Amino acid sequence: MFESQLGIFGLISDAGPVVLFVLSVLLSFSIVSWAIIAFKFGYIRKSLKESRLFLDYFFEVYNVEKVFTATEKYKQGSLPKVFRAGYIEYRAIDNHADSRQVTARIARAVKREANAENKRLSTFVSFLATVGNTAPFIGLFGTVWGIMTSFHNIGLTQSASLAAVAPGISEALIATAAGLAAAIPAVMGYNYFVQQISIIERDIEEFSPEFVAALLNEA
Amino acid sequence: MKTGQKQLYAQKKFYLWLAVAAVVHFFVLFASVFFQIWGTDHRLKPKIVSVTLVSLPGSMGGEQTVSSPAIVEEPQPITPTAPKIIEEKSPATKPVTKPPIKQIQLNQALARIQQRVEKQTPSPKPSSVTTLNSALARLQQKISTSGKPAGAGSVTVADNRVGAGKGYGSGGTSEPYKAAVASIIQQNWEFSRTLLKNSEGMAVYVRINILANGTITQIIFDRKAISEYLNTSVKKAIEKSSPLPILPKEVGGRDVWIGFVFSPEGLAK
Repeated sequence: MFESQLGIFGLISDAGPVVLFVLSVLLSFSIVSWAIIAFKFGYIRKSLKESRLFLDYFFEVYNVEKVFTATEKYKQGSLPKVFRAGYIEYRAIDNHADSRQVTARIARAVKREANAENKRLSTFVSFLATVGNTAPFIGLFGTVWGIMTSFHNIGLTQSASLAAVAPGISEALIATAAGLAAAIPAVMGYNYFVQQISIIERDIEEFSPEFVAALLNEA
Repeated sequence: MKTGQKQLYAQKKFYLWLAVAAVVHFFVLFASVFFQIWGTDHRLKPKIVSVTLVSLPGSMGGEQTVSSPAIVEEPQPITPTAPKIIEEKSPATKPVTKPPIKQIQLNQALARIQQRVEKQTPSPKPSSVTTLNSALARLQQKISTSGKPAGAGSVTVADNRVGAGKGYGSGGTSEPYKAAVASIIQQNWEFSRTLLKNSEGMAVYVRINILANGTITQIIFDRKAISEYLNTSVKKAIEKSSPLPILPKEVGGRDVWIGFVFSPEGLAK
């Protein structure tokens, strides 16, 4: 077999320390990005599904006690969480005579839980945006550095041929490729999650008053 | 308390995904490397079969201290297969068109050798096999008596490396074969000396292993030049020269190691 070091392994093994550092950073970025994508995908998907089922049940029954009991089945859904928070606050109120105060407290509890849920949904998503924005530039940095080194070596070898120039440049370009490989899924995941989270947030905004009204009617 | 447990659960889940992502990444990385190696092997195998490695003829010009002419090594005295002399004297600069058939290449190499011998012999007689044999015999005798190579060592075929690996192919019987191989490589060696700013001291010592069917199984760079361009051109020339002619029977063995020295000076000649 020929003793040629072609391919990914050869490119990485011939790369300089800076390029290797860049590659390791990009690799870690990619690993964390994919972990976030997998984690958030399951979380958001389950939240959407349970929210939809909960809403169907809520409008079907419209009985707070029954609905609250049903929320035990939808612990991952955002809307059930918000409703549970309002219901617990409603139960914590001793005096239901002052309807204005009751409304304010329930609305406050619902709002607080909605904010908390928004934060939970948005956790780690910003990292995807960071990776999507910075990974190509980090890869580009590695490429520029690699090309600098390559040209330096070309000067040392005293050869200006394409055969002498091309290997170094191809080694350097792997950093850009790695940056793009890390950034593309991160950007795609970020856009997807932002869209899904905005749907959930809109649902929470729309149905929070409904929950408050249902609890007040119960009172 | 409950919220804390939920957060802990979420954290554990995230760490699980992190581990999974890391494992998948490393798996993909190793898989890509593995498939690349695997694909390279599969691509090269047929190429090796068809590609014959060529040894550079010794037009090293000047500083051939390493290359020892084949004539000195020859223990066989007056065999007509004394193409070693020819090969030594055959500079790499003579362009020979690459024939498609191996036999034709061999014949051409022999024809060149014959022409050179005729030039050196004082009596210009019509070229014939007998004349050639007699001329070669005289040269062999002269060499054996003087103990020195007749042709000033311009041969770049490093005979001292022949058979260095497994001991196959040593001796002068394979000299026509080496000459043919060298001419093939030389024809396929695309190298421009002008691309090198400084060609002094640049030489590539290559050892190749040729199977009996002409297949090159290994190319080993004993010494690379500083210029990667020169190294790459040598490798390309060897790969491009394939397939090599089948090993002559007198060489014997399953394979043979042949060493070559590539240098810009030699080419320039």
